[in-house]
Amino acid sequence: MKSRWVVGGGVCLDQVYDTWGRTYPQDSVQRIELVPGDDYTFDLGALDALDPAQGAMFVALDERFGNFKRMELMQAVMERGFRLESFVSPSAIVPTNTIIGPNAFIGEGTVLGTGCRVDFNAVVRDGVRLGAGAHLRSSCWLETGVLVGDGADIGAHCILRMGAIVAPRVKIGKHCELGWARLYDRDVAARTIFDTRYPEPICVYGD
Amino acid sequence: MRSRMHPRYYLSQEIFEREQKKIFRKVWLFAGLKTLLPKHNSFITRKICGIPIVIQNFDGHIRAFENVCLHRNSLIQTEAIGCRPLACPYHAWLYGENGEVKNIPDCRSAYLISKAEQQKMKLREFALHAIGNVLFINLSENPFPIEEQLQPHVIEMLESSSNMYDSEVMLTTFHCKFNWKLAYENLRDANHPRYVHRSSLAKDVTFLPFVNTECAAEGLQPLSATSPSGLRAEMKRFSMAAAEAKLLNPKRLPFHDFVERWGTDDSYYNWLSYPNMHIACSNGGYSFTLEHHIPLAPDRTDLEIYWFTTRKKKQYAFSSWNLLSHMHGSRLVTGEDIEIMEKVQAALHADAPMPTQGAYEFQNRLVERWYTTLMDTEHEI
Repeated sequence: MKSRWVVGGGVCLDQVYDTWGRTYPQDSVQRIELVPGDDYTFDLGALDALDPAQGAMFVALDERFGNFKRMELMQAVMERGFRLESFVSPSAIVPTNTIIGPNAFIGEGTVLGTGCRVDFNAVVRDGVRLGAGAHLRSSCWLETGVLVGDGADIGAHCILRMGAIVAPRVKIGKHCELGWARLYDRDVAARTIFDTRYPEPICVYGD
Repeated sequence: MRSRMHPRYYLSQEIFEREQKKIFRKVWLFAGLKTLLPKHNSFITRKICGIPIVIQNFDGHIRAFENVCLHRNSLIQTEAIGCRPLACPYHAWLYGENGEVKNIPDCRSAYLISKAEQQKMKLREFALHAIGNVLFINLSENPFPIEEQLQPHVIEMLESSSNMYDSEVMLTTFHCKFNWKLAYENLRDANHPRYVHRSSLAKDVTFLPFVNTECAAEGLQPLSATSPSGLRAEMKRFSMAAAEAKLLNPKRLPFHDFVERWGTDDSYYNWLSYPNMHIACSNGGYSFTLEHHIPLAPDRTDLEIYWFTTRKKKQYAFSSWNLLSHMHGSRLVTGEDIEIMEKVQAALHADAPMPTQGAYEFQNRLVERWYTTLMDTEHEI
């Protein structure tokens, strides 16, 4: 019997665990809660008893700290030799020429256009629509209801909140947060944050 | 004790304009961070006292000019921060490091401006002074030395700390509905955090009001030195730099490993540069927030918030998200201050009662003694 470990926390953890349990009744699907402690680190002790050769893993965690905590956990399990799988909901529409990286999450009812690319550790929550040829770079987080136009390019670690619409062929730089529910019809510079709690975008300059 | 601050000082357009003329166009004002001007042609733009300003790096020389083209009054640099030659986007007039017109395309055929005439043309330049990585500008034609505005220990502490500023800077702006002076009266009021910030700042730091009886008594007397040098000397007392409180529970955060530390004390540091810049370091020397209050109208102030850590020891991938978590943390405290000050402003009207002050508000009392003397007389600084 193959093992499937779903590791992390939050709604995606529950969703993958539930779906895999139904989709792979022949496998042993295990849910392992692993969230950062008060010191912001993970206690990976729960993984000690697992044999990486016996199965595959999916790391599910929310978008905290620009998706870096999920990536940190993902890297930690890879260093322990675990193989990561992607998760594609059975109700998602995914053309055969779509490229989906390891540990990517494709939620229920999402519609991916032809030739899309979803890089590793990107999360596409339920009901998102990606246009043809859109490219989500690694460790993105797209919330329910986000629309991404044909050929748009979403930079690594971006967070697109509910109601964000990215126009076709627009490039969103890495580490952006599109939190204002609106159409983004121009390129957005890397590290620009649109947060509803702020009246102006938050920008980062220099390095 | 009754305050000297009549409501009109917060409401009157005429007094606002007088402030702009008698204070903001005379004193050294925060202009920007040198860390944002790292290379040739790096620039920042801003509007100070209604004047569009560009501050640009010319091969290491940082200069401040009026950001208005001498041809058709177009803005020369149009972005907030960037890197490009000082060239007007309208008709491509190019300016040099002394503000001179270096090139006018098709000058001989289209403009017929002689070489001699061109040589006379120059952008208006403003005095600029760097203390460490903090840039100050003075809009006066005859600026007084910045040392007459800031005490030596303020300059020294600002220089020492700002030399440690990192070059990655997060910036946003809040549009506030209050008079700029309320912000600084609030900052000098150590009695408000335990009430206004009881669920935020006051959980980590204890600010307690104290009374300096000598200063409190002094504030009751009229200001005697009203010459320009006397008024400047008095103004010098209003800027400060100090470790203001011990941190109750200093926390070790992951980013600390990636940055150098300024100092060694687990303290809350404050820098206040009169009239409108405040810097705080709430974690014992690992990161800083800079607040710049820009007066727009008697009841409107833009608040620019900068966040940066101390210098990185090495680049780390999550650095911008680290700054964002700082920004979100401070937004809570800033939001609480904005909310209370907007309520104070909203309650003001011409016949509102004069505020009653406690002795612990001796610093505000000294400031308002100076301010009212300046505003209500012909004295200048």
